[in-house]
Amino acid sequence: MFVELAAPATLLADEGRAAVQAARPSLARRLLAATPPYLYLLPALACLVLWTYKPLVEAVQLSFYDWNLLPTSPMTYVGLDKYRQVFTQPSLRNAAVNTVVYVVLLLPFSVVLPTVIALVTRRLGGRSRDVYRALVFTPILVAPVAAATVWRWLLDPTGLSNQVLGAFGLAPHNWLREESTALLAILAITAWSMCGFAMLIVSAGLTGISGDYAEAAAIDGANGWQILRWVTLPLLRTTLLFLVLTTVLLSGQWSFPLLDTLTQGGPADSSTNVYYLLWELGFRNFDSGLASAAGIVFFVVFGLIAAVLVKLADRFSFHDN
Amino acid sequence: MSTISAEAGGARQPGGDTGAASAASGGATEGGPVVRAASTPGRAWAATAGRHAVMVVLSLASVFPIYWMYAGSVRRPADILSQNPLPWPLSLRNYSHVLDTLDVPVLLFNTLVIAAGSTVGQLLVCLLAAYAFGVWDFRGKNILFLLFVAAWLVPLQVTMISNYLVLNKLGLLNTLAGVVVPSLCSTAAILAVLMLRQHMQAFPRELLDAARIDGRGSWTTLWTVVVPNIRPVLASLGILLFITAWNEYFWPALVLQRANSVIQLGIRGYLTQEGSDWGAIMAASGLACLPIFALYVVLQRQVIDAFVRSGLR
Repeated sequence: MFVELAAPATLLADEGRAAVQAARPSLARRLLAATPPYLYLLPALACLVLWTYKPLVEAVQLSFYDWNLLPTSPMTYVGLDKYRQVFTQPSLRNAAVNTVVYVVLLLPFSVVLPTVIALVTRRLGGRSRDVYRALVFTPILVAPVAAATVWRWLLDPTGLSNQVLGAFGLAPHNWLREESTALLAILAITAWSMCGFAMLIVSAGLTGISGDYAEAAAIDGANGWQILRWVTLPLLRTTLLFLVLTTVLLSGQWSFPLLDTLTQGGPADSSTNVYYLLWELGFRNFDSGLASAAGIVFFVVFGLIAAVLVKLADRFSFHDN
Repeated sequence: MSTISAEAGGARQPGGDTGAASAASGGATEGGPVVRAASTPGRAWAATAGRHAVMVVLSLASVFPIYWMYAGSVRRPADILSQNPLPWPLSLRNYSHVLDTLDVPVLLFNTLVIAAGSTVGQLLVCLLAAYAFGVWDFRGKNILFLLFVAAWLVPLQVTMISNYLVLNKLGLLNTLAGVVVPSLCSTAAILAVLMLRQHMQAFPRELLDAARIDGRGSWTTLWTVVVPNIRPVLASLGILLFITAWNEYFWPALVLQRANSVIQLGIRGYLTQEGSDWGAIMAASGLACLPIFALYVVLQRQVIDAFVRSGLR
């Protein structure tokens, strides 16, 4: 193990020989010996600072200015004005509500249903299990725009969904063009691509749980439901937390290509969400101040939600190792 | 040298192939301890049939849209609204139409360059970072690690304006490099660091110590001892990063801003341009997914393991 200062494990071999010659390594040499981990971290760290943290700080700065992104036009300081707009503009409130609705309706398909299916089918073995695994995994591989076009066709007034409706004597419905169903259509597409994948993640989590706990509980007289509630689910909490967190944090990102290809947030902003709106504010309306202010607000809110979820998972923890 | 690699070959098992091994043995370990409700053979049989039914429904729901895409793409243009689940007679006219009207080879080539470039860059950067986190103790390690994990929370839409301006200043807008360079610290790359770090932590210390006693520097040790032994991990991680980069939409759309750049933007433009020529649109979409599906057919097990394992932590 390369412990700091413990050994002259320097980058160059002759450096090491020199260290052996000197009975007590000088301060400079000890510093040199401590540098390798920092050097290895440097490229990744530089990328993170350059492309994530510096822009984050700059977004805070931009949020206090009114500016249209053109290098030639002036930036005017407007104080907290943009933040006031964030909390008063109806379009932002609408997008925030849509995002909440979207996340809440997606959770059954990205967490609950996959968990139930994984639990129900955990004892399926052999070749059939491999085939199922291979099949339910495929939607996540489809390029989002390709998924969008297939679903657009399926949901089109002339598409299969409406032909099926027609067979039952129902009038065709333009799912993606109606205010009442556009969000649900986008949701259905995301649910389709996530469900099988999430199930595989839960299955992998279940495989990692030692059977000893359930066995011990069974010997103590616990029934199937009690074992599930008090043993299996608590042991699965890392997996479940991961699924909930990714759904909350990333579902807006997953739906972005679908929204951009299929509805552009419409009709009448009924299918938009915060991430799509942020992009529109920045690169359609060129209001960098409002886009940044709203981005910072949503970032803080999502960060708080993540912190609460992690805390909650800790409360339900059950120390197994 | 030979002793080290021999030992490492044996040591690879616990670190590298846990996913496959545990997946294979999963059925056996799960079976025993859970209390079975079924008391008669008949009920046990019904329970198994029920499980199969659930999985068949989920599998069909997963595959059907993909099947419908390819089925639609090989129908004759006149049959496109046919509900017949089997496309017959087959026709490649949709494909020839797409190849005439959309520059598919260039689009696929650009996408390939971006995906391959991001993958190689991310693997290299992440490997070095994971080496630092997994093998060394150093001052500030925890804070720096937190910096990595926390970056996962920063949405692209918050950083996009500054990054766009920087790319503009560097003259990288509308270039493939402009897509690749910022992807080096994407959320996928952060997950890759976390994944590789675990493998580095599990790496046998004796091998590292032996290499040091041999007089090898840490850089040589990384490439001659560590990398050869975690090659399976790097391979599956590479596949994962490649697929993610291939399917990435937001950043390419922002940086490239034109339809004749990567395949997804090409299809998006095609959708507006061709309106409701569904056969041609399905053919274009099918071509966009083909390389990934080909990869999947060949490396199915590794792909699933890579994705599922990355999702675990």
